[in-house]
Amino acid sequence: MKKLLYITLNELLLLVKDRMAAVWMIILPLAMTTIMGLVFGGFGGGSEAVVIDLPVVDQDGGEMAAVVLDILSQTENLQVETAYDEETARQLVADGQRAGAIVIPSSFSAAMTSGQPTALELIVAPGGQTTPLLEGMVRGVTNGFSNVQTTVEVAISEVQRAISGYDPSTNSGQHLDYEGIAERAVATALERLDDPPVRTQVTTVSGTEEEEFDIFDQMVPGYAVMFAMFAVLSAAGGILEEKERGTFKRLFISPIPRWSLLGGKLLAQFLMGVGQIALMFLFGALVFHVQLGNSLVGLSLITLATCWATTSLGILLVSVIRSRKQIHPITTLIILGSSAIGGSWYPLFMMPRAVQQVARVTLVAWAMEGYNRLMILGGSLADVWADIGVLVLYGVICFTVGLRLFQFKEA
Amino acid sequence: MSVVTVENLHKHYGDPRQGSGQGSGRGVKAVDGISFEIQQGEIFGLLGPNGAGKTTTINVLCTYTEPTVGQVTVVGHSVTAEPEAVKRAIGVVPQDIALYPDLNAVENLRFFGRMYDVPRARLEQRIADLLELVGLTEHAGKRVEHYSGGMKRRLNLAVGLLSEPRFLMLDEPTVGVDPQSRNAIFENIQALNRQGLTILYTTHYMEEAELLCHRVAIMDEGRIIALDTPQRLIKTLGTGLIHVGVKDVNEAMLARLRALPQVKDVTRRDNALAFETMDAQRALLDIIGLFNEMDTPMTSLEILEPNLESVFIQLTGKQLRD
Repeated sequence: MKKLLYITLNELLLLVKDRMAAVWMIILPLAMTTIMGLVFGGFGGGSEAVVIDLPVVDQDGGEMAAVVLDILSQTENLQVETAYDEETARQLVADGQRAGAIVIPSSFSAAMTSGQPTALELIVAPGGQTTPLLEGMVRGVTNGFSNVQTTVEVAISEVQRAISGYDPSTNSGQHLDYEGIAERAVATALERLDDPPVRTQVTTVSGTEEEEFDIFDQMVPGYAVMFAMFAVLSAAGGILEEKERGTFKRLFISPIPRWSLLGGKLLAQFLMGVGQIALMFLFGALVFHVQLGNSLVGLSLITLATCWATTSLGILLVSVIRSRKQIHPITTLIILGSSAIGGSWYPLFMMPRAVQQVARVTLVAWAMEGYNRLMILGGSLADVWADIGVLVLYGVICFTVGLRLFQFKEA
Repeated sequence: MSVVTVENLHKHYGDPRQGSGQGSGRGVKAVDGISFEIQQGEIFGLLGPNGAGKTTTINVLCTYTEPTVGQVTVVGHSVTAEPEAVKRAIGVVPQDIALYPDLNAVENLRFFGRMYDVPRARLEQRIADLLELVGLTEHAGKRVEHYSGGMKRRLNLAVGLLSEPRFLMLDEPTVGVDPQSRNAIFENIQALNRQGLTILYTTHYMEEAELLCHRVAIMDEGRIIALDTPQRLIKTLGTGLIHVGVKDVNEAMLARLRALPQVKDVTRRDNALAFETMDAQRALLDIIGLFNEMDTPMTSLEILEPNLESVFIQLTGKQLRD
């Protein structure tokens, strides 16, 4: 065990002495996260090309609800789905399979026709970059209904006013004050701008009012996972470098148990990954006020599980790929590919359905799902057990196969 | 007392039926049935060109490679049955510069010392002694990546000595070093041997083997083709070896050349004749005289000094550095 720790310490010492590693592990991740966060922070960049599947739960079934459905169906970029009940729709959003869902309450048509205030509920995954887009679309609909209701209200009140002062014997209708009606209608409409009769109520999947979402809540864990993979897999590639340099052979022919030799190197890689993610979260929390969620235990376990899975993937890769020249392009391809489809750069639900399914084979998808649930949806440890479990299993499989194929000595 | 015994060692890579020798197809017989012993206190040399099987033999002795066939014991322990005991008894200086270039000399030695279980109380003193031995005390704090080739080789040697081994293997320890560092390494090796350390030394520089080794095994294509003290091996050449290039020589001429009084033997290889002589100067005059008499032109003429390289050429017809 002592030798295992010495090997780990030596790996970390080598990391500290490697100036390029400092650039890769500290400066580049922080700079990339900052730049990308600021670039995409305003949101809106490529959303036009996205078609969003939007469950609409019609609890009203009335005439006005049908109008809402009709308007939404004709909205570009939206694919309205009416087959779900509220619970299923909410779960789809919670699982990250949908960006949001709309609930038309049972009293919607009645409220509209009676002039009573009402609201459409927009349920969102707060981590979704499409949330502002959805919100804008639904507000467009509710504003339209507010305008209609305001117009009807003004018309009715003016008719009532006219009727109340009408004397058929004198035919006083000729004395209707048309300018006064217009002034009162405008004043009423302006009042309604502050307090529209048909509102958009945005809630998170957990039922709370939507908090302001910051793009860094998505960016920081996404880039943390990606750069942790770079750090860990690069260190794993270092085993091949040691084999080519001869230091691995020198260690093998010294009296060290094999498990200490490999374990020391893997422990160092694992710690590098944990350090990388911790650094990114610390930076995100201090500089960009990233929300770390309500469960630090859950966050820690997801981080440990992610690093375990990444470290195990590393040993698998260096067992299969036996040349340093080959491993760098291959790991880069794996990291960038899995980050792109796994949710490091964009939330999973923005991807085509087929890509979302494929993404499940990457550890990034499970890690990001866990981080998003904890940090954005405000979930608890119980909400991420499945993600942790899959990551641990992922690591066990990669580790077992990798260890079986790993060549300690010359064949 | 034997420190190392090697009996009928074979090491094959791939399927040797699909080819034999280095680089001759998918199957390679890297070592092809060698046997030798190394005695306590001896410097034993493995001499041969690149690809002769020297490094593979060392890899088997240090437990890095499993033998395909054969019995190998080091310091009384089988390399296959008791590899851990072997590892504890040996020191290895590999052909590669097996050091961490980002660390300095002390950090490298400290790390490998811990791997060899050098007690903490003794480790720092041991490091200081070894740095003194290889002449790197003044450069102890400098990153290895900034060392010259010779300095790296000397530190490579120091790491191999950390564990105070009973048997030290040096695999081409002077490749690419300056003459000053080479001399320093030679002095280190001789000093260690005087203290009783048994050493296996591989090289393709014949002058190193002649200078350092008590006995030498000459290897070619995985086999030992000669094994003796350098002096006895050289003596087989008499006073020298003469190579004569010819276009054509008939059997009658060959018989007359063999019958010359100062010629021990004549070997014909392609368009050349190799003469082993008892007295190279006198033999040369006789040979030239006979060629003139028979009106046979020489295309080249070379007198080789009697040394291990000449022995190798005589045995294989190849240059040692081929």
